[in-house]
Amino acid sequence: MRPEPELRFETPERIALALDLAGLGARAFAWLADVLCIFLLWVTALLVYSITGDLLRDLQALSALGQLLAVAGVFLSGWGWDVAWELAGGGRTPGKRLVGIRVVRADGAPVGPAESLARNVLRVVEVPFGYAPGVLAVALGPRRQRLGDLVAGTLVVRERRFDLGRYDLAGAADPRFAALRGRAAALLAADEFDRLTDFLRRRPELEPDARARVGARLAAALAARAGVPRPAPGDAEPFLEALAAFHAEGA
Amino acid sequence: MTRERTVGAFVRARRASWDRLAALAAGAASGRLGAAEVEELDRLYRRAAGDLARARVAFPGSDAEGHLTQLLATASHVLHAPRRSALAALARLYREEVPASFRAERGALALALVFLGAGLAGGALAVAWEPGAAEWLVPDAVRASVAAGELWTGALLSAAPGVTGSALAHNNLTVAGLAFALGLTGGLGTALLLLANGLLLGAVTAHVVEHGLGAPFLGFLAAHGPAELSALVLAAQGGFALAGALVAPGEWSRAAALQARGRSAARLFAVVVPTLVLVAVVEAAVSPAPEWPGAAKAALGLALAGALWLYLARAGRAR
Repeated sequence: MRPEPELRFETPERIALALDLAGLGARAFAWLADVLCIFLLWVTALLVYSITGDLLRDLQALSALGQLLAVAGVFLSGWGWDVAWELAGGGRTPGKRLVGIRVVRADGAPVGPAESLARNVLRVVEVPFGYAPGVLAVALGPRRQRLGDLVAGTLVVRERRFDLGRYDLAGAADPRFAALRGRAAALLAADEFDRLTDFLRRRPELEPDARARVGARLAAALAARAGVPRPAPGDAEPFLEALAAFHAEGA
Repeated sequence: MTRERTVGAFVRARRASWDRLAALAAGAASGRLGAAEVEELDRLYRRAAGDLARARVAFPGSDAEGHLTQLLATASHVLHAPRRSALAALARLYREEVPASFRAERGALALALVFLGAGLAGGALAVAWEPGAAEWLVPDAVRASVAAGELWTGALLSAAPGVTGSALAHNNLTVAGLAFALGLTGGLGTALLLLANGLLLGAVTAHVVEHGLGAPFLGFLAAHGPAELSALVLAAQGGFALAGALVAPGEWSRAAALQARGRSAARLFAVVVPTLVLVAVVEAAVSPAPEWPGAAKAALGLALAGALWLYLARAGRAR
């Protein structure tokens, strides 16, 4: 399997960084959310118009204001929407914000006006084909770029929300497993600790059978690694909690 | 510096300074920071960079590493590319970047003018020399209303002005967007689009003039036509710039050339869009209005287009 594509770049201090690229699903969902927003705006505008229609008609007869509003509205329902939001929101339209993705330049910087215009103007050749070229390009391209992204030199990256709360101390460890103190730190690599806390946090959502099975297997494997007796089947989770607590403590 | 043995101890020891860095970066992105805060941002950034280096070695694959990566990516751009206010960025775009892009792509501009001009001249000459050509070149609806001795443009008056204006703007924006994007066909699509639009306009004009409706028709076109055609030419200029990057990338790879010139060419849309919005308003409100004398319409149209070209040719030049 191919590894998840990443955007790699360096900061001026030559710190190499890598951000995850957004996939087709996230981008399509963000697009749908934006379309829904625009639709709701038009429905609202129509409601307002139907309530105050006569007043607006009078205004329209008097000035070009109504026309300007209508023209601006149509423009903003097209790619103007994307350009305006991408510039104002650091590469995020409301839909992208909802999904947790944003548009960046190839050097990881937020998009500027020229890039945003370039990537969105090119929608005009994708829309007539129902975005088929864009869908294919995102699904198959090595960097998941649409035609517009290729011209503008932009990419869409995922903004992951990392949960640092998992590293907070969970509380006192069960004294029965005090033997783990002093061994926990060496026992688990950092990513293994993350997976262990994932299990401990998600266990209320698991099926009881699956929860017991996974807990017992984890406890057995880790007990063997630590060289301590395997905990009784009912004690698997207190054992894992104690292990996580000692590890978090640094012991 | 103490060496925390586990990722948990590491995160707890450093988290306050990461959170402070994130807050400062957000503050710097949205507003202004004091000198002391910028200094603090810089210091915390360097420290976080050290933390990331440590996390990569000691805690690879952990959420702590992922969090630090994202934090540094955000903070780095805040620190190294201090964000100008959106207003300042816009001012710079219009004062320097747009006219510079325009002047940098003179060859593409010449191509756009040539193809549009060829279409116009071809359409007009064809109908002038051989009136029968109008059957192919002029749409049926137009020929029918011209034969009846009236201009179809009068019908614009009866529609709601706002609706007409937005429909016109939408249509024009789509055509302009196509003229730009079809540059990706190596310029072929852009050239055909210009030729087709020129042919149609040239043929219709010649046909209308032949039937003695020239004065009212040109009066209708005078107010918005020049600016509208200018916007189309500018969009096509961008399209030919894209084509140039594809066809003759020079010493660059095609992708790199496309990005560099595409980004620059797309800036032209920063004037194409407002121009077309203005054109739509004029086209819906002024052009069909009988109370505007033809001379006034012509003066307005020439002033709009003249201002646009003058701005593009002169703005932002080193004095």
